Amino acid sequence: MGSIAESLRTAITLILSGDRDVVSAVETSLGVALWSVLIASAIGVPLGVAVALGKFPMKRTVRVVLNSLMAIPTVVIGLLVYGLLSRQGPLGFLGLLFTPRAMIIGQAILATPIVANYTASAVQGADERILPTALTLGASSLQSMIQLAREVRFGIMASIIAGFGRVISEVGIAMMLGGNIRFFTRTMTTAIAMETSKGEFAFGLALGVILMAVSFAINVFLTVAQESHRA
Amino acid sequence: MSSVRYQLSSVQVLYGNELGVAVDDLSFDAGRLHLLTGPNGCGKSTLLNLMAFLTKPDRGQIFFDGLAVKWEAQECALLRKRVTLLHQHPYMFTGTVAANVAFGPGARGVSKDRARMVMKESLAMVGLEGFEARNARQLSGGESRRVALARALACQSEVLLLDEPIAHVDRGSAEILESLIASLAARGMTIVMSSHDERLGAKLGARVIYLEDGKVRTSEQLSASASPRGVGGDCDANS
Repeated sequence: MGSIAESLRTAITLILSGDRDVVSAVETSLGVALWSVLIASAIGVPLGVAVALGKFPMKRTVRVVLNSLMAIPTVVIGLLVYGLLSRQGPLGFLGLLFTPRAMIIGQAILATPIVANYTASAVQGADERILPTALTLGASSLQSMIQLAREVRFGIMASIIAGFGRVISEVGIAMMLGGNIRFFTRTMTTAIAMETSKGEFAFGLALGVILMAVSFAINVFLTVAQESHRA
Repeated sequence: MSSVRYQLSSVQVLYGNELGVAVDDLSFDAGRLHLLTGPNGCGKSTLLNLMAFLTKPDRGQIFFDGLAVKWEAQECALLRKRVTLLHQHPYMFTGTVAANVAFGPGARGVSKDRARMVMKESLAMVGLEGFEARNARQLSGGESRRVALARALACQSEVLLLDEPIAHVDRGSAEILESLIASLAARGMTIVMSSHDERLGAKLGARVIYLEDGKVRTSEQLSASASPRGVGGDCDANS
């Protein structure tokens, strides 16, 4: 118990002193996670709306595949993308392996099914009068869908936040595609794993505290936004 | 002599094996008020959804301004800019009353200034001046119905379809809505409204269309008969 308290004190000191390793890991984590969630949202939100509203063959199969992809292990995604980006792989010429861009690709693949599935659920749970109302007021199909997305924006926002939560806390992709290179691809999670294995418990705990703070801040933001919307 | 706005020919809508509505031959003149009346589940809302180009009939043909509707997506989108349906239970979009009422003009690409002017005029028509900044989801039932009507009016469509616009509203709101509908009809707007209350037909000077078990009879047919109920439940030829 004493060692945990001591580690917590060290963690706070590291955070307050702006330790370069801590700052770099935080910056890399946030940057990679934000980009990957941005890409996942650009693909996942329209895909979720299409899956919820579209009438096409194999719709149920698409939904089952998306559900299954939510549970895919991060190391499997890491392995597949590694195969693509490694020097012998079909995309090896791009020279992306062990760069933040490789991590972004992998994490975007991880987050897309999450964003798409939760968006589809939000749209399916929306009031069924929204689309006919927009259509009869003269909106085009696209305008009507945009209006529907506006009406369920907090559900969509929750899907994006779920995707963000997944990618910022994962280790497998960041380790396999980023390589845990100091001041370049080292994230909070890969740093925690490495420092803890070295016995640097305080450093790991400092990053753990920041990870939890980020997660807490995002949830507070969502709750406040929803409350102000209801008011 | 008035022109025919809608012509429905051998139209049927089915819900699985259940008949939603069946119309052998029915027309709606332009610039006139029409009242659809009949018991619950007789097909009034189904017919209005067809006429709003939101639902495609399973059988038959609808002509709008003399042209057969092909039910292609682009064609329906264009027709829906000419016809507006006020649903029986209108949905208010999240946001202010002003945003709701200005939705139709905005969807039509009208400038913001023009949309704002139309929004204010429409709210004034339903007696809700000063409601612009109110939260559209926090209105009383009668206010909400009036805002929904203002939203439909702001579209400035050629045809207004009203599904039970006066049901479940207080007496004051009902009087305002009835008076507005009568004045719009007097100005030559084509209006088709549904109501359980068939006395509204005489009150508003509307042509009355009776729906029962999905079949149709018109006031012209009924006036030709000594007793409206004596026409027979299976009469389905109208114009």
